[in-house]
Amino acid sequence: MVEFKTVVKKYSNGTVALNNVSFNIKKGDFTFLVGPSGSGKSTILKLILKEEEPTEGSVFVNGYDLSVLKRKEIPCFRRSLGVVFQDFRLLPNKTVYENVEFAMQITEALPKEIRRQVPMALALVGLSRKANAYPNQLSGGEQQRVAIARALVNNPSLIIADEPTGNLDPETSWEIMKLIQEVNMRGTTVIVATHEKSIVDKMQKHVIAIERGEIIRDQEKGQYENEVKDSKICC
Amino acid sequence: MKLRTAKFVVKEGFVNTYRNVLMSLASMGIVAASLVILGFFWIITVNIKYNTQFLKDQPEMQIFCNPEMDGHQLGMLEWTIGRDKRIKEYEKVDKKQAFEKAKEMLGDDKDVLEGLDESFMPVSFIIKLNNSADYGEVVEKYKNYPGVDSVRYSKKAIDYINRILRGLQIGSSLLIAILVVIAVFIIANTIKLTVFARRKEISIMKYIGATDWFIRLPFIVEGIIIGLIGAFVSFLALFIIYKLGGGWVQNDFIMVKLVGMKDVAFQLIMVSCLLGSLVGASGSIISIRKYLRV
Repeated sequence: MVEFKTVVKKYSNGTVALNNVSFNIKKGDFTFLVGPSGSGKSTILKLILKEEEPTEGSVFVNGYDLSVLKRKEIPCFRRSLGVVFQDFRLLPNKTVYENVEFAMQITEALPKEIRRQVPMALALVGLSRKANAYPNQLSGGEQQRVAIARALVNNPSLIIADEPTGNLDPETSWEIMKLIQEVNMRGTTVIVATHEKSIVDKMQKHVIAIERGEIIRDQEKGQYENEVKDSKICC
Repeated sequence: MKLRTAKFVVKEGFVNTYRNVLMSLASMGIVAASLVILGFFWIITVNIKYNTQFLKDQPEMQIFCNPEMDGHQLGMLEWTIGRDKRIKEYEKVDKKQAFEKAKEMLGDDKDVLEGLDESFMPVSFIIKLNNSADYGEVVEKYKNYPGVDSVRYSKKAIDYINRILRGLQIGSSLLIAILVVIAVFIIANTIKLTVFARRKEISIMKYIGATDWFIRLPFIVEGIIIGLIGAFVSFLALFIIYKLGGGWVQNDFIMVKLVGMKDVAFQLIMVSCLLGSLVGASGSIISIRKYLRV
């Protein structure tokens, strides 16, 4: 589903964001991308979204080889993914319904399809009753649900969440993570970048840990920190 | 593109124009002002052309004989002209033709010729020279020819007017080009404000897989709306200016005949609409370019 092969990313100012990173995320996986700020998490997500180009190595997402993807083909590629951000990124002058609808309008979907899919996505995140509210009338958790509904509405095979709980209190964070897990249960591959230790530890999913641009751990059913605490030994 | 997408795009464009109505109005004003100046020059050019048309229609050289000239003298003159090496070709206009032409030129006033016949009209020769530099000698020679009344040479005047016209055209084209560039920049700036206010929205659209054109088109529609309304306002302004100013010009300069507004209106509105929408669209494209690179 998502594969990095010896990826190196150097920014123009000389920073090496990723150094020889390789990993593989299988279809249907729920993967946590963990690591402190500046470790390279965001760079990995940017590479997956083809917002940035790798300096070396190659990235495969959803069967697309991103190194040969033309600029013209990027929109089409991005429609096969759903993205959720820390700051929600909803359109402020559109209602909840319109925000979700918009993601479908972009794909030139049939109106009939839109009328069926949008309420379904809203029902899935439990916001059917707030369809006509504007984003600023919602709580943070509710806004994030809208964002998840928007990411889901086109039935993407991969959902990428960049710190989806970063702006939320612990309780709401849990609800959102449960929701994302539910989406994963329905067969969608999920990648979540986070540094919420408690969540990662409790959910026991595939964990890829990054530090200073290198993968220090890649394990199934992992935790935020290695039980052996080898990172402590380095210090 | 599908019809409903087109509908969506056009609707978004209108909504955006309305949303920052003040800036839109400012841009429309700038477009209108530029197009008024532009149209003004264009109308002047058209009118000068129209007023100098009669000169162009005239033969470059014409030798008029005395109406009382006898056949022998006429034969001599024609023979001389025919043998003159400086003359490329000539055409004889006899009394009857001259009379017909006079009637034609007088148009509605041809009653003044009533009771007269062609006998008072002069015979004339329309002459084309091989080399226009020879005109001085030729004029000199035939002016003093027995039986010749006058020699008219209008090539010089035509050249002069052509030079003025060309200068005016180059000048106004240059001015138009500058004005268009200024208008494009101002519209680009206006739309840049909209784009800047909506840059977050644009990046969201990019993330969920909107194509560049899907994002760009509503802004282009916005630019075109601004351009078209500006064009329409400028047309109205020019119409009023022409109506008022035209009357004044015609009162003071009787010899100047103005082109009717009806004759230029269609062209004027087409040109302003085309330029207006072009300026608006290119302004949008320029200002949005930067934000599409996500």
